[in-house]
Amino acid sequence: MSNLLNIGLTGLKASKVSLKTTGHNLANVNTEGFSRQRLLQTTNNPVLKEGLVQGTGTRTVNIKRVHDENAEKNLRDATSKYNFHNERRFSLNRVEDIFNEVDREGLNQILTRFFNSFRELAVQPENVTVRSVVRDNAVMVVEDIHRIRQTLNEISSQIDKKTESLVEEINQTMDQIAELNQKIQILEVSNQETGDYRDMRDIAVKRLAESFDLATYRDNNGQFNVAIKNVGTIISGPKFQKLQTSRVNRQESLNDTANSLSITFRERPEQNLTSKFRGGKLSSLMKTRNEDILRLQNSMDEIAFNLVNTVNGLHERGYVNRDIQVREDGSLPNEDQKGKITGIKFFRHLEDPKDAAMLIELDEDVLADLTNIVTALEPNSPGDNRVSIAISKIQHQKLFDQGTATLEEKYLQSIADIGLQTSKAIMDSEQAEGILNQQKTVRERISGVSIDEETANMVRYQHAYEASAKILNTADQMFHTVIGLLKR
Amino acid sequence: MTRVSENSQSNALQYAINLAKSKMEDLQLKGSTLKKVRRPSDDPIGNIEALNIQAKNSDNEQYMKNSNYAMLQLSSTEAALEQLTEIVMVAKERAIAQSSDIYNPEIRKNVANEIRELLNQTLSIANKRIGNRYIFSGFSTLKAPFDIKGNYFGDEGHMTLEVSKDFFTPINLNGKEVFYTSENSDYRNEHPLDEFPDLYDTRNFLYRNIPKDQLEKNQAFIDRGRLNNSIYKKNTKPIDADFRRKDNIFQQLNTFIAALENNDANTIQSLLEKFDNTASRLVTLRTRIGSITRNIETSKDILESQVISNKERRSYLIDSDIAELYADMIKQESILKTAYKTGNNTINQTLLDFLR
Repeated sequence: MSNLLNIGLTGLKASKVSLKTTGHNLANVNTEGFSRQRLLQTTNNPVLKEGLVQGTGTRTVNIKRVHDENAEKNLRDATSKYNFHNERRFSLNRVEDIFNEVDREGLNQILTRFFNSFRELAVQPENVTVRSVVRDNAVMVVEDIHRIRQTLNEISSQIDKKTESLVEEINQTMDQIAELNQKIQILEVSNQETGDYRDMRDIAVKRLAESFDLATYRDNNGQFNVAIKNVGTIISGPKFQKLQTSRVNRQESLNDTANSLSITFRERPEQNLTSKFRGGKLSSLMKTRNEDILRLQNSMDEIAFNLVNTVNGLHERGYVNRDIQVREDGSLPNEDQKGKITGIKFFRHLEDPKDAAMLIELDEDVLADLTNIVTALEPNSPGDNRVSIAISKIQHQKLFDQGTATLEEKYLQSIADIGLQTSKAIMDSEQAEGILNQQKTVRERISGVSIDEETANMVRYQHAYEASAKILNTADQMFHTVIGLLKR
Repeated sequence: MTRVSENSQSNALQYAINLAKSKMEDLQLKGSTLKKVRRPSDDPIGNIEALNIQAKNSDNEQYMKNSNYAMLQLSSTEAALEQLTEIVMVAKERAIAQSSDIYNPEIRKNVANEIRELLNQTLSIANKRIGNRYIFSGFSTLKAPFDIKGNYFGDEGHMTLEVSKDFFTPINLNGKEVFYTSENSDYRNEHPLDEFPDLYDTRNFLYRNIPKDQLEKNQAFIDRGRLNNSIYKKNTKPIDADFRRKDNIFQQLNTFIAALENNDANTIQSLLEKFDNTASRLVTLRTRIGSITRNIETSKDILESQVISNKERRSYLIDSDIAELYADMIKQESILKTAYKTGNNTINQTLLDFLR
């Protein structure tokens, strides 16, 4: 009889735990990353009694979360991919904004105006006003080249700052994972699963996956490890390796910039990890900085350098626009009261293309006096416009890429390139978002809480609880019956 | 049967609504700006084509300005040549009338005065200006090219202007070729870039493959500005004094005056041929200007039609198609509404509503 009471009791307890689990699930229906939990229950060990093998009720084994390793991995990979493309879209969007000329003025229009002002000067080579227009347009060219180059530099240094705080965040997350590893290890000695901690760890690993592609595995000792793809294991059970950012000089940098950010392990600063990461925000930021922005910086430098040299090379050959007193013997003086009469540079001389887009300036002579803007190939020829015409023809010279591209073509190529990259990043990120969403849905389908399901379960467990209680009640009545027999 | 959980359901709904809304936003922006390309990534290739067209159009506008200016200067030159021809014709008529030995000194004196007047007219034509520019003084445009004796102070410069891409046209005749009889008036087409061998010869740029030496030239051109060795001295040859004394219209008229005053019929007779030569040379020059002007007009017409077709193409590349936009917007709107409706039906109901 006490046996029956006991069987009833195990049922009662098991139903209670099931109800509790249902309650826990319902309470966490909106908790991020929560996996629904189920009570694993089996029959108790049967016993041989009165010549029969009899059951002895139910036994609660374990509360397990409903979880699919594979779905979790797919979700993690999709997260890496989406963050890579989305971050790229974000930074490239900012880069392409520099080159947006659709509804405001940009370098292409300014350059065209610059060359056309030389054409205008060819029409009226005697005119001082047109010279000042030429100079104003040249100043605008210089300023716009500066604007583009400096904005590129700014975006690059903002990427550095962003990376710095990202690495900080990564270190914290790794710390958190290592700590959870330890807690899980302690709690799971009794072979029980700690679903809630495991969920928390999955969330943290997913947060890491936002920054780079990673893989998780169990080593021989059953420890939970995290490895960054292409870099190596960074978390091993309760231990982890911190990442570190530092600033390096121009020669050592990957984007030819002074004070550029570099990523290493804290323990092994000699190993440069900056460009090693794959997928995720970190590699996206570094790719944009080291490839796209660097390429644009270089082509802006090349544009500025070639512009300076070609214009100077032609401008130097002309004679100033003022009356030059010829000496008695018919030869020309080297200088007059305003300085040199020929060999005047239009832009300040640049030795090499490095940083040319930042260093480009008008020559001091040209800034000082408008008559130093040269049009004539011969002295004392105010109507000679050949130098202006020659300078205006630089516009159509194939100066770039082995004689295949003009200044304008080279610049437009850069815009087309960044436009294509950006539109590809937008498309990729939209697609990756779709995939990420799909993976999230897959995970939620498996592990997410369904209120309907839990409600049905609640009813079921309640009924089971009531039925088990009825068994106790019945056993009690049976006791009474037996005791009543004795009384009589 | 796939399991559906609370989160998977709301996830799907959120994604659908978000997608529809972001498409809506895009369409709204296209509608309010009336541009389908607002940034390079909207249409990378179309965008640069539009930029290229924009640059071409500002070039073309400049070429049109150049054309207009060239036409102005050429028509002034043409008018001056016409007046000169008239003067020479009048001088010739007078010379024919006065070429015989039979003469009236009174009349000869009057004729001499008339010719002196013609000489003054010739001078004012020769020193004609547009703005502050003397049109007959070659490159020395700020100096009066002639004095009353017919001495020439200008040079042999020919100004050229680019009136459409790579099409250079001369816009002046210098005093030498207009006024000097002995000068050969054969027209040698000077190119303004003749003195710039560095510049890639865009005149002959018809082949796609750039010859190797051109690449070197290009590099040399870039290097020249850098290496600072380009100072290049051209000896300018001033018009020599001998040349100034040579035969020109002024000389002819002065000779005529002197002959009239000295009653030198032989000289007057010998002048007849010279006047004829001058007149025919002036006609040749006028024909040349006429043909240049016609060329400019043709190129201007082409430019104008180019500007229009370029603008059309740019609009096609950049501007929104309103009808299409409106249709798309209506479609998106109904998609969004449907998403809202289905959300309303599913998301607010659970089994709990029915377990009472």
